[in-house]
Amino acid sequence: MRQAENTASVRRGSKAIRVRHGAPEVFATALLVVLAVVVTLPFIIPFLFVFKTQLEFIYHPWNLPTKILWNNFIEAWKAVRIDQGLINTLVVSLGAIVATLPPSALAGYIFARYRSKATEIAFYAIMIGYFVPAQMVLIPLYKLEVASKLNDTLYGLFLPMAAFGIPFWALIYRSFFKSLPSELAEAARIDGAGHAGTFFRVMLPLANPATVLALILVFIGAWSDYLLSLILLSNQEHFTMQLRVASFLSAYGTDRMPRYAAAPSSRPPLRSSYISWGTAG
Amino acid sequence: MSDEPGSGGRLGGSGTKRVRDRTRAPFICLCLLPAFLFLAIFLYYPIEETFRIALTKSAGMGPETYIGIDNYVKLFANVEFLAGLVHVFSWAFWSVIIQLPIAFLVAFSLTFYANKLTGPLRAIFYLANVLPSAITAMLGKFIFAPRFGIIASLANTIGWKWLGSIDFLGNPKLAFWSVFTIATWAYTGFPIIYLMARIEQIPKEVREAAELDGATGWRYARSIVLPDLGYPLRILAVLCTVGSLKLFDLPNLMTAGGPGNATVTLGITLYRDGFIDWNYGKAAAIGVVIFVLSLGFTIAQFSLGNKRGGEKI
Repeated sequence: MRQAENTASVRRGSKAIRVRHGAPEVFATALLVVLAVVVTLPFIIPFLFVFKTQLEFIYHPWNLPTKILWNNFIEAWKAVRIDQGLINTLVVSLGAIVATLPPSALAGYIFARYRSKATEIAFYAIMIGYFVPAQMVLIPLYKLEVASKLNDTLYGLFLPMAAFGIPFWALIYRSFFKSLPSELAEAARIDGAGHAGTFFRVMLPLANPATVLALILVFIGAWSDYLLSLILLSNQEHFTMQLRVASFLSAYGTDRMPRYAAAPSSRPPLRSSYISWGTAG
Repeated sequence: MSDEPGSGGRLGGSGTKRVRDRTRAPFICLCLLPAFLFLAIFLYYPIEETFRIALTKSAGMGPETYIGIDNYVKLFANVEFLAGLVHVFSWAFWSVIIQLPIAFLVAFSLTFYANKLTGPLRAIFYLANVLPSAITAMLGKFIFAPRFGIIASLANTIGWKWLGSIDFLGNPKLAFWSVFTIATWAYTGFPIIYLMARIEQIPKEVREAAELDGATGWRYARSIVLPDLGYPLRILAVLCTVGSLKLFDLPNLMTAGGPGNATVTLGITLYRDGFIDWNYGKAAAIGVVIFVLSLGFTIAQFSLGNKRGGEKI
């Protein structure tokens, strides 16, 4: 991309430097827009199909739907019990937040503000969890949960989720508390606040940005979890949304698809496209 | 809690001279207790157990017999495990070779030609990254399904029978690449955002100086931006590799490792051995292999970080 004709008109004073690039800029932006459209298509195309009857879908998959039909939505809702799935997933996600945030914030605060040999060692001990992939501990975790009757319960799912999340969030809280000026804590101490008072009344409210970030990301993480739910939940009633989608997928698996091809195979796209919108975190 | 209001202690690390503070140590212990309780139950104990179980043989929950390193020895003669190992590494290799250059080009163009579209485009490229993997897999299957999938039905509509008859997920030669394509669609958003953040940190003066020296467009990208992104690109490469080692959701959901062993990953072999064949010893051994490999790459990541003054992600 040569830009001999480039008229580098750099306007100083204005916040962003605006450089005119002419043709290359138009070309690059057009390319990016095309790419963005391609990236978005998998989200949009299902809408073409979701309102159609089976016959309409088979014969005119690419036409706009002749009329809006909600049958597929209702069928999908009933087939997968979306209501039950949503409630379960919500419980797991909120539970993960409640179980992850307080231990992470407390530990992160100690690591940031009470630095000593002992807390340093504790910090590295917690960081071990950051390096251990969940896959490694699946077998003992399952055995443990069966032995303690935790398996196939929703809290049996979000408690280990929290354990896997705590090291990362303790690290985030640590760097956040470190960035707060220590004079604030000292002022609180002088005004008579104890250790706990300083933390709960002064430092924790100041860490709100970190807490909001943790709230959102822990929620999304728990909402999208697949592996742990797959292993720890066995009763269909306890299935989270992701497991419901997954069992729906495997019921119409690719290797089985040709056999279903005669009639029902057109259904999965119809139903599944709706489910995908219901669960998109 | 353990503090007495008005105790004259100082916060550690901030004070000039230490005043004896009796509530300090109990407070530290109380604060660390919940985190360690969680980790002890769900992490430390299971880690120790994984190493122990990997040396035993048992049928499901039944009694275990100690068999030494037999599980590990057998693993490396196991076709499924070796297929998983090969796939995991070729997945890592191709993600670095394909996803990172795409991410760099997109991130660079978006920041270089910053205009009104930059914000929305950035959001769109990141969109697929926040989807749960079950949904990504569903959309992926929907695209590649034979006969009624998006590609097949589009091809049939315009009369390209050869394309319409390809079974993307059922063909052992294509399945890996079909899953990989979906992963590229879903996961390239993160490196784009990350690299954009890094590129935007390059001071404006550098850009101006480059423009004045005639280093514009591609030349600017290659000679100035790319060298500056050495560290973040290496970090992303390590993340890709460690991510590939843990790869489970997408291949398991889209193809369940099949057809045959065409899309098997280490995570899938672990799942098959542990939770379908109930062969805990073997599954635990695979867990140890995943751990050792990802630990190796993580150490590599941190030693890369130390070379640049301990800079972290």
